[in-house]
Amino acid sequence: MYLIEKSKVMTIADELAKEYELYGPVVDKAAGQVFFDRVEGSGDISLMAEIPALPPKATVFPQIESIMKYKYDRETKNAVIEPVFSEAKKALFGLRPCDLAGIICLDRFFIGQEFVDDVYLEHRKRMFIVTNTCVVPFKQCFCVCTDSGPDADEGYDLNLTEAGEFYLVESGSEKGAAMIEKLGLAKAGDEYRKIKKDVVDKSISLFEDLTTDNKAWISRVMNRITTGFIKDDVWEYVGKQCFECGACTFVCPSCSCFNIEDHNRFDKSTDRLRTWDSCSFEGYTNMAGDHNPRKPVEDRRNKRFFCKLSYSQSKKYLRPGCVGCGRCQWVCPGDIGLPNVVTYIRREITE
Amino acid sequence: MDYKSGVCTFCGTGCGNFLKVKDGAVHGVYSMRNHPVSRGRLCVRGWHIHELLMTDQRISSPMIRVDGSLKEVSYDEAVDFMFEKMSKYKEGAAKEVGFLASPRSSNEDIFLFTKLARTVFKTNNITLDSESGHRKSLDVLYKGTGMAGMTGSIAAVSKAKFILVVGSDVTKMNPIIGSEIHKAEMAGAKVVTISSRVSQIARLSTLHLQVNPGSKKVLLAALAKALVAEGHHDMEWLSKKTSGSKEFLESINSLNLTEAENLTGIAYNTIAAVAKDIAGSESAMAFWSTGISGLDQDTVSFIYNLFLLAGKIGGENCGMNPLTGIANLQGGYDMGAAPDLLTGFQSIDDASVVNKFKDAWGVDINSVPGRDIYNLLGDPASGLKALVVADHDEGIIRYKKEIEGLEFVAYIGTYLNPFMDIADVVIPVAGSIENDGTYTNTGRRVQLSRKRVDTFNNVYPGWKLYSSMAAKASMKWDYSSSEDVFKEIASLTPSYSGITYSKLEENFGIQWPCNDRFPAGCESLDAPMNGGVYNFAPVSSEFSVPAAKADYPILLITGQGQHFWHQNNIMKNTYIPRREYRATLLLYPNGYVEICKADADALKVRDKWTVKISSQHGSMNVDVKISEDVKKGTAYIPYFIREMITEFLMEHTQDLQRGEDAIIPIRIEGV
Repeated sequence: MYLIEKSKVMTIADELAKEYELYGPVVDKAAGQVFFDRVEGSGDISLMAEIPALPPKATVFPQIESIMKYKYDRETKNAVIEPVFSEAKKALFGLRPCDLAGIICLDRFFIGQEFVDDVYLEHRKRMFIVTNTCVVPFKQCFCVCTDSGPDADEGYDLNLTEAGEFYLVESGSEKGAAMIEKLGLAKAGDEYRKIKKDVVDKSISLFEDLTTDNKAWISRVMNRITTGFIKDDVWEYVGKQCFECGACTFVCPSCSCFNIEDHNRFDKSTDRLRTWDSCSFEGYTNMAGDHNPRKPVEDRRNKRFFCKLSYSQSKKYLRPGCVGCGRCQWVCPGDIGLPNVVTYIRREITE
Repeated sequence: MDYKSGVCTFCGTGCGNFLKVKDGAVHGVYSMRNHPVSRGRLCVRGWHIHELLMTDQRISSPMIRVDGSLKEVSYDEAVDFMFEKMSKYKEGAAKEVGFLASPRSSNEDIFLFTKLARTVFKTNNITLDSESGHRKSLDVLYKGTGMAGMTGSIAAVSKAKFILVVGSDVTKMNPIIGSEIHKAEMAGAKVVTISSRVSQIARLSTLHLQVNPGSKKVLLAALAKALVAEGHHDMEWLSKKTSGSKEFLESINSLNLTEAENLTGIAYNTIAAVAKDIAGSESAMAFWSTGISGLDQDTVSFIYNLFLLAGKIGGENCGMNPLTGIANLQGGYDMGAAPDLLTGFQSIDDASVVNKFKDAWGVDINSVPGRDIYNLLGDPASGLKALVVADHDEGIIRYKKEIEGLEFVAYIGTYLNPFMDIADVVIPVAGSIENDGTYTNTGRRVQLSRKRVDTFNNVYPGWKLYSSMAAKASMKWDYSSSEDVFKEIASLTPSYSGITYSKLEENFGIQWPCNDRFPAGCESLDAPMNGGVYNFAPVSSEFSVPAAKADYPILLITGQGQHFWHQNNIMKNTYIPRREYRATLLLYPNGYVEICKADADALKVRDKWTVKISSQHGSMNVDVKISEDVKKGTAYIPYFIREMITEFLMEHTQDLQRGEDAIIPIRIEGV
């Protein structure tokens, strides 16, 4: 563990900006909303800003992205195909631990199993990640229930924890260690382990009652969802509140579903696009021959909660698919963000 | 940071959004947490607006028709061509020339389009939307309260104690307002929905009154009558604060409550309980849709009168709330895109108003109201010869033949459109995010949407295009931005007089009226705006409900498919919503008719089987969708396939007059 003075913490970002495209939490001036997005320089980054509305998912899995271009000449019957990869080196600075957990889930999905997604891999393999421990949880957060915060324990290159006049700096990789050496950071004494633990414990104590109350319940709900012991009318209650907008998927740091479309350009070339998709859409599960295994909305809706909370799915991610950020709760036109669904299931169990 | 804030321009809700703009192009969309209307939410359409904004299906150059095909020319040549062709209608313009404005354009563009019609082409034949449902609602509210718009506020929905939803499939048409109603219900408000089919909002309501098809108006009248019969009205308040209550009570007198029970299928006890809730709740609101297949004027009048009788017009968290289906439908009427209106619902009959415009514009304008374009198109003797159309596609379905028969058609728009097949001249104009512009949502909130990307192919923004047209007629329109146009709007429109671009930018928009009396805008109506009392709306005493006959035993009701928003001309340029539409089409290639299991069994048909539907006026083949959302004897068709509209529904002109309550008696047979 190392130390850096609070006033100098941005020198890490400045150092990264020399080699990487810099991304971080940035506040939109007009509407006061926080995005995790590309910044011009470290001056735009706000480490104290609330959890960004837009998770860093978009840095590895953009909302819409060209993955291939082709042009077919009808006369000569000549087709030119060109794969499109992002070659940018990206540094994500000030990532919240839940969002890192989201990227870990995406890693497992896109590159962690038999099939490796090259497009994703190109985004991911040159990346430098600096996480930022949440010393105060935000209103909708429940990462303590999903083992994804308030501090990160793996997957980062550097981890920052604010403690008084200093940031504690931990290295999680060789790249991280090299950066610490380059910056010549002072080594922190053993007493700082205790200091960090206190900071994290204090943060945990500040979570909303409902969250701490729900902590044991998430694992019970996981058990219920995995074993299928949830009554149909609970899913129907959830399903009838689904407006089928897809928002929960789009804002989720770990949702990975996508669709492929060919976009014909004005110049007669074609872009093959990958776009975000959502399991809440009827067309998403539609199969050839008019067969749709998940036609009713409640069947599509409960799929999301199987994906986030069932054991079989968690085995693929090596952690729960839900990272406890609470974003689905504030974008939902119904009242079926994940924490609420846990509450509904919990209500059924206790009744 | 690549995200730029602005307004979603699909439906009339007016949600805030961010567009991801990189290298001058749109790459994504995100919701806005601090926006007072949407508060972080968007619907399925709003979450995919970037797909539409990325499309290359654009009009890239002005074009004129030479020897039957369109040829690319310069702006100058196109405008010259248009003026040359239209010069022969100079004398008879008031009769021969029509202007079809678009409820998707910004206030500035609509204002200039109507100014062009009135000052350059000398016609008052100006129409905004293809169905005048919203206008009818505005007429009722304006005559009743002096406010030609939603009298309540979307921000107050969550605080209302009683909410009545009449007919509208609000969670599909204006989903974020549907969300507000749902959240109000979760927080303890009583939500009552009146509809013949179980819609999502019906499922989310505290009480769903599944009325017999075509009997919404009867139920509203019965509610009013029950409210009086049970003594929940305040006679003293009514006589002091309203006028016309006596006439209204007389018109519902002929309604027999026992008969109303039979006609609506709703028991009197239930009717009386709801009437008590409306009158007894601390605050009450009503919502209805006004776009395509909105309610007819008589039904809207009954909603308004019922709430006035209950003393729930005006006041905190109350509201008569018509919902617009298209981004700037409300703004379009505010801009006076109607044969008989100038801006801010000022009448063209009013000499002082007309003089104000004459002075400001420095030209004479005709003060005789024009005629509705669809009315002209439907009347073979109307004498309409030339039509100028802005970004419009619904009307073409019903009147394609008539429009093709006109001598001259000009089309001004952003995206490729079926009108281009007919138009003699096509002129591109900058899209909504390529130009500054204001849009007025269904809650009277005027919002500024700043230019977020450069114009495509150097296409002109509206102010530049219309100024260049005026210049051809030797009129000097002195605008160098949309803001200049807005200043002129504010100077001519009492309800907009206090609004400026900088004020709009500070507060996510302002709800009009904004003037000396309401410097910060007006959230909800609190007292009559006409200076006097609230007026009851005149209503008919006609309470018949179309009945099934032996030949045609099933009553057909119609609605819209979820992803087939406004004939799909816009949504077909997206990826995900288009895929969703196609998913429905894959299951039901001919479109579908919803009937209940019992009716399907009686007909010996199964889900997805094709059946023949016949009425007195025609027949068509569609597929069966078995659904418990409709009662026995009722069939429901969402019209999401063009042929269903052109070849069947449009034949039922008389029935469709009833708007959302339109009922077509049909017979269903296996094929």
